[in-house]
Amino acid sequence: MKARLAPLMLVAAFLLAACGAGATPAAGGTAGERITLRLWSHQNAAFQQANEAVVARFMELHPNIEITYETFEYDLFIQTLQTSMTAGTEADVIEMFGTWVCSYANGGRLQEMPAEVMTYEQAREVFYQAPLDGYYCNGKLYGLPNEFNLENGGALVNPALFQAHSVTYPPSWNTFAEMIADAAMMTEYDGDTMTRAGFNYVTGDGLSFALLAGILQQGGSYFADDGRHFNFDSPEARATIQLLVDMAQVDQVVDPVLFNDTTNWVGDSFFAGNVAIGFVGSWAAGEGRVNYPDMQFDYVEIPPYFGTENRFAADSGWGKVVSVNSQHPAEAWELARFMAAEQESALTWNTATSTIPAMMALVENPTILETAPWLQATFNLLPHGQYIGDVTDRDQLFYEILYPHILDAMEGMVSVDEAARLIHSEANAMVDASQ
Amino acid sequence: MAGIAIAGQGPAKRPKEKGLRAGQRSFVLGSLTPIMAYMLFFSLLPIVWAIALGFFDYSPTRAGSGFLGLGGANPFIGLANYRAMLDQTQPATEFRLAVGNTLVFAFLVLPLNLAITLPLAVLVESVHERIKGLFRGIYFLPTISSAVAVALMWGYIYHPQQGLLNTAIHLVGLNPPRAWLSDPTAIVFGVPLAMIAVIIAYLWQDFGYNLVIFIAALQGIPREIRDSARVDGANAWHEFWRITLPLLKPTLLFVCVLTMLSSLQVFVIFDVMTRGGPADQTTPLVMSIYRNAFRYGNMGWAAAISMVLFLIVMAITAIQFRLLRTDWEY
Repeated sequence: MKARLAPLMLVAAFLLAACGAGATPAAGGTAGERITLRLWSHQNAAFQQANEAVVARFMELHPNIEITYETFEYDLFIQTLQTSMTAGTEADVIEMFGTWVCSYANGGRLQEMPAEVMTYEQAREVFYQAPLDGYYCNGKLYGLPNEFNLENGGALVNPALFQAHSVTYPPSWNTFAEMIADAAMMTEYDGDTMTRAGFNYVTGDGLSFALLAGILQQGGSYFADDGRHFNFDSPEARATIQLLVDMAQVDQVVDPVLFNDTTNWVGDSFFAGNVAIGFVGSWAAGEGRVNYPDMQFDYVEIPPYFGTENRFAADSGWGKVVSVNSQHPAEAWELARFMAAEQESALTWNTATSTIPAMMALVENPTILETAPWLQATFNLLPHGQYIGDVTDRDQLFYEILYPHILDAMEGMVSVDEAARLIHSEANAMVDASQ
Repeated sequence: MAGIAIAGQGPAKRPKEKGLRAGQRSFVLGSLTPIMAYMLFFSLLPIVWAIALGFFDYSPTRAGSGFLGLGGANPFIGLANYRAMLDQTQPATEFRLAVGNTLVFAFLVLPLNLAITLPLAVLVESVHERIKGLFRGIYFLPTISSAVAVALMWGYIYHPQQGLLNTAIHLVGLNPPRAWLSDPTAIVFGVPLAMIAVIIAYLWQDFGYNLVIFIAALQGIPREIRDSARVDGANAWHEFWRITLPLLKPTLLFVCVLTMLSSLQVFVIFDVMTRGGPADQTTPLVMSIYRNAFRYGNMGWAAAISMVLFLIVMAITAIQFRLLRTDWEY
């Protein structure tokens, strides 16, 4: 009998170990009682440094609250969120990308922000609407942004290449056509092989945001009348796709077969000296400063594709949300509010990460420009931005629908009309499948 | 036949001829329990869960109302995921393309792998004992390298501007393809060039494993059989084709099954080298499962795809066992 008990006890031990991992602390902390909050974010040296600094200050001000901060590699972070939420073992406060928030919120995974913490109307007074609206789902606010994620309106420029090709530097482009003309002068070939692109914009984010911005700048909308489905088969969409195609096929500022998301990705090829103008978010400049400290480069504003107003759609950015399973919601919301809405915390965070502030007051603060001078180029753009909206599944829309079909058109595999039609059809099928 | 009966007592028990003693049973149970528990929780239960998920429209971003989050916002949909695989929607088209890519990859890798490793094993086996180990070690090195590192290395070799391969091709006065990994119009005998490029990289890393197995198998063939063949007038080719190859059949079965299993489940080399492009020409089933499960949160659909992969793997393995089985040994 004793001998049979041992294996059974072993199995029971396994079961207990498996079930007990990561249990959220029990509810009911009373005033003055020490509680522990867990904070999760993805791994990024600058982000971790920023969060640690803000968390340390929070714990000084709240001695009864202990913060356990854990980070995860990016792909693993997404998987961890999904699996832990199913198990109810996720952190109390999560640094989440704004464009993901509504899918988790609508699925019942996040807590609605209590009015006593901040209402949406109050938040509108503090934050730019584009990043804030990523956290506003079906009339409810689920968190606060730290970052205005901007993947449009600016580009990395290599002064050495400008000078080598006798192109005016610093650039003073009045129109997008002027920029393309300069880019074409800086394109280089070795036989038939493009060895240096004048303007590399061929990325999943680049092409997708360019399409959305092009539609908006022509006065159109990429949403259909119901606000849920898409309208990508419009004259504005076709004109934008045609522009993107012409830049490759007519102006030849880039070879989309040799410069795209998988080969010569703009963030790598620019800093390798293979791209004169690289269309990428300002965050790349921050990374470039760290990874390529000896390279001379700048980040400049680029003209709108159409017209004179640089209208664009923006993702929301990274920010803080509270899990529906948090056992200490009041303290968790206090932490989230402190990290995103306290001006000193937000300044610490944006300075350390070199990201564009979601908080309007910080844009007028010169401290950020001392550490990230390239952000100046983006500040002029911020008032023209609007939140991208409820696009159902942003990653699927961008990387499975917009990017592949626009790339196919640029490579001559489909016509512009066919690309627009396919994008329209597949984007709306994605919406229908989600309902 | 009953045992001898003693008055006042029941029949004496016949001593057991088979089976373990109580102490032995406890030892076996205690030894097997941890691994059985491990297999139960980390193999069997996940498989059962995946099978179940395939019948639901399940996303981890939605809180379900039933057992383990099933039901409610994650409703039961029966065979809808499987029926959807035959539709003309974009996800279904991508699924069918991934099935084709996976089969093309696996059915090209296997014969090419065998064509490289078998003759090479015979050659290595024929050299002096002292340098045999050196060759084995050199050829096995790529096998123990990190798959990510190998993929990154080959990505640099195939780089269109700075790659070693294009540089070498230029040096001999030829023109290389426009792009090895990103040109969707580059098709060779109906196979995308990007797929061929990845196959070459995969073979480079993988062939050493089968080579070592074949070398060991060749060493296991009794020398007398080969000597007898030579005495009967067989030349080297006859010896290989009529003696060595048939005697290697059990090893061939083992190698073929393992190679197909790993080829059908390949992911890392595609993800790092091409990310499934250009135009999904190098997207295998496992990448499709990963994307749908963890990028797009469509775990029900991803689970259904994984079941299809499971059935494909099972069918191909069964066919291999049928074709290559032997009912003899030496």
